[in-house]
Amino acid sequence: METFLWLANAGSEVEEGFALNLDVFDTNLVNLAIIIGVLFYFGRGFIGGILSERRSKIETAIAQSEKRARGAKQALDEAKQNLAEAQKKADRLIADAKARAESVRETIEADSVREIARMKEAAEADLGADAERAERELRARAVALALEKVEGELSQRVDDSVRRQLVDRSISMIGG
Amino acid sequence: MSNLFNNLNAVTLASLEVGQHWYWEIGGLKLHGQVFLTSWFVIAVLVVASVLATQSIQRVPSGLQNFMEFGLEFIRDLAKTQIGEKEYRPWVPFVGTLFLFIFVSNWSGALVPWKLFEIPAGELAAPTNDINTTVALSLLTSLAYFYAGISKKGLGYFARYVEPTPVLLPINILEDFTKPLSLSFRLFGNILADELVVAVLVFLVPLIVPLPVMVLGLFTSAIQALIFATLAAAYIGEALEDHH
Repeated sequence: METFLWLANAGSEVEEGFALNLDVFDTNLVNLAIIIGVLFYFGRGFIGGILSERRSKIETAIAQSEKRARGAKQALDEAKQNLAEAQKKADRLIADAKARAESVRETIEADSVREIARMKEAAEADLGADAERAERELRARAVALALEKVEGELSQRVDDSVRRQLVDRSISMIGG
Repeated sequence: MSNLFNNLNAVTLASLEVGQHWYWEIGGLKLHGQVFLTSWFVIAVLVVASVLATQSIQRVPSGLQNFMEFGLEFIRDLAKTQIGEKEYRPWVPFVGTLFLFIFVSNWSGALVPWKLFEIPAGELAAPTNDINTTVALSLLTSLAYFYAGISKKGLGYFARYVEPTPVLLPINILEDFTKPLSLSFRLFGNILADELVVAVLVFLVPLIVPLPVMVLGLFTSAIQALIFATLAAAYIGEALEDHH
């Protein structure tokens, strides 16, 4: 108790103002120096180990991810190349198909033009034949009618005397 | 004999000042100046380290950049495990700030020979051995998890006070007070106790003997920073959690 009273007194008795206390024992300098030294000696190794391990871990992580990035870039380039090739192929296929379509269209067109011409011709031929037949029939009919009329007239106009005269003339022509 | 002892105390104990503060009076407020000085030191260390580490950023990190990235990864994993994959990202800066500030504060108290510098009153030490610092940090944590919960669920956030049963309502409300209280007292107590033990041992036996306690102090300091950051992240994660 007395000690603490003294402590309080001692506190109030300290001279006012700033100063450096250079008493080695009073300021515990030796022990602090030892502690700090020990801390540095062991702490340096310990923390240094942790830190270098961390550093190498980060380094490998970065190297790995860089490698992966490189790989990915390579794959991307390859894929791009493939894409370009496929594009080219597709273009070629499209061009080919277009050309073929054009040629097919042309042949079909030519075919149909020929067909149309042929059909027209056939139709015309048919038409010509029909007309000819009709003409023939007409002609035959006209002949038949004419003959009928002539026969009718003949039976009216040719009597026995005329017939005889005719026969005679025919005989005279033969007898000549 | 007693007189002699007292005189001895007067000589040697003069350097151990508990509860002594170098007050700065600003606008009617009494500030603990020595805490500000060491806090600024810690902040400067962190800022300088961050600036140096990001000065020339390499793809394959080395040196300080590597070290800081390692720290960032550590904090990110901490936040991720406590808050969850989906929502941890916005909280990494907060949790990281808590962890780094507390960690560097604690270690500065354990490693920097602050006693070399005498100030008008009090003595320089880790900022976290002042209760004001730790209370500020834990109140910020409370604000953070309230903000996290309310910004995500709106007023529905308060439904958690009657989860899992309304019987627990008082306890759930109490928790909002015990969380910052336990956070701040745990950190403050650990750091102050550690520094006191070291200081007392240094009185009694100035050489070698305090070393194990100092090493232990380094260890507990680091653990305390981790615990504070982890708990803060856990509280935020709890507030963000969906419960049905």
